[in-house]
Amino acid sequence: MIALPLVALLIGFLTVYWLPALPSAWSGYVAISILAGADALIGGLRARLEGRFDEAVFVTGFFANMLIAALLSYAGEKLDVDLYLAVTLALGIRIFTNLGRIRALLVAAQRRRRSSGAAGSE
Amino acid sequence: MEESPQSGGNWLLALTGVCLVLGALLGLQVKARMARGDTQMARRTNALVAMVSEARTQIENQRKEIADLRIQLSKYEKEAAAGHGLVKLSEELQNARAALGLLPMKGPGIELTLDDSVMKADETGGTSDLFVIHDFDLIGIINELWAAGAEAVSLNGQRLVNGSAITCSGRLIQVNKVTIPPPFTFEVIGNQENLMSALNIRDGALDRLRRLEFVVKLTPKDEVTVPAISIAPKFRYAKPVLEESGP
Repeated sequence: MIALPLVALLIGFLTVYWLPALPSAWSGYVAISILAGADALIGGLRARLEGRFDEAVFVTGFFANMLIAALLSYAGEKLDVDLYLAVTLALGIRIFTNLGRIRALLVAAQRRRRSSGAAGSE
Repeated sequence: MEESPQSGGNWLLALTGVCLVLGALLGLQVKARMARGDTQMARRTNALVAMVSEARTQIENQRKEIADLRIQLSKYEKEAAAGHGLVKLSEELQNARAALGLLPMKGPGIELTLDDSVMKADETGGTSDLFVIHDFDLIGIINELWAAGAEAVSLNGQRLVNGSAITCSGRLIQVNKVTIPPPFTFEVIGNQENLMSALNIRDGALDRLRRLEFVVKLTPKDEVTVPAISIAPKFRYAKPVLEESGP
């Protein structure tokens, strides 16, 4: 069941891979969108582990983040300010924080399970 | 994992949808990057090829222009000479030009085509050097041709004149400082019988090549055209001696 998103990732990748390539001018925006999407995904996983997951928030957050990230870097380019750096930095920090939080939650869950299992056997 | 009460089982579906989109974006990006790498290489190569071929056509055009201008010049000179009774002088000039290779020449002669041996080095155990045509092979043949009374000779479109050097740089052969690839074709104007027998002489230049199964095609032709040399010789050090100097 947990393999489903991974399969979807692969399918999405392969589907687009066979399509004609995007103009290279778009490449920067696609990259920043990927970063925003990854951030939203990891944020969603964290919310799920914390028990406060909401699909509507997750899905809208995913698309909105990607769009905002791309728009910010576009605006940065127009204004001649390297705004994409700010986006990259913010998203990078968030991804790291969320991953750290997920790790802590998983470790805590594991510990709880083990102690409860030990208690049950005794 | 416990199900959070507000999301039900749909969280996996949402995750799957998001992953599909993210995968698609990743695919886009990877593809774009790879395509860009390819096209950059291809673009650079194409640009270089275009530059080389453009330069080649330019050289070719300029050569043609030189040849045309030379013929025009000769005509003007002839006309001018006819008007001033200088016909003799004009003829002399023409002959001098012909001797220098500044005029294209036409006449009966032979055509000789040579290509590398069909034998392969590994079949015979020898080195591959034995089975390709070298500068000295060509030099030997040219020497034979002059000795047999050749009046005008060209090698792959390069007129051989006084001072035409045949050199070998690596695996390439240069004539008049122009690189020529095999097959090598000589166009020779002269007495056909003399030229043929001189080339076919026993143990002569062609004999060795034929024995090693080089591709040798020697045909007499009723009309051979030999182009003019593209760059006129310049005398930087040699000066003609005009006064008769006593002993």
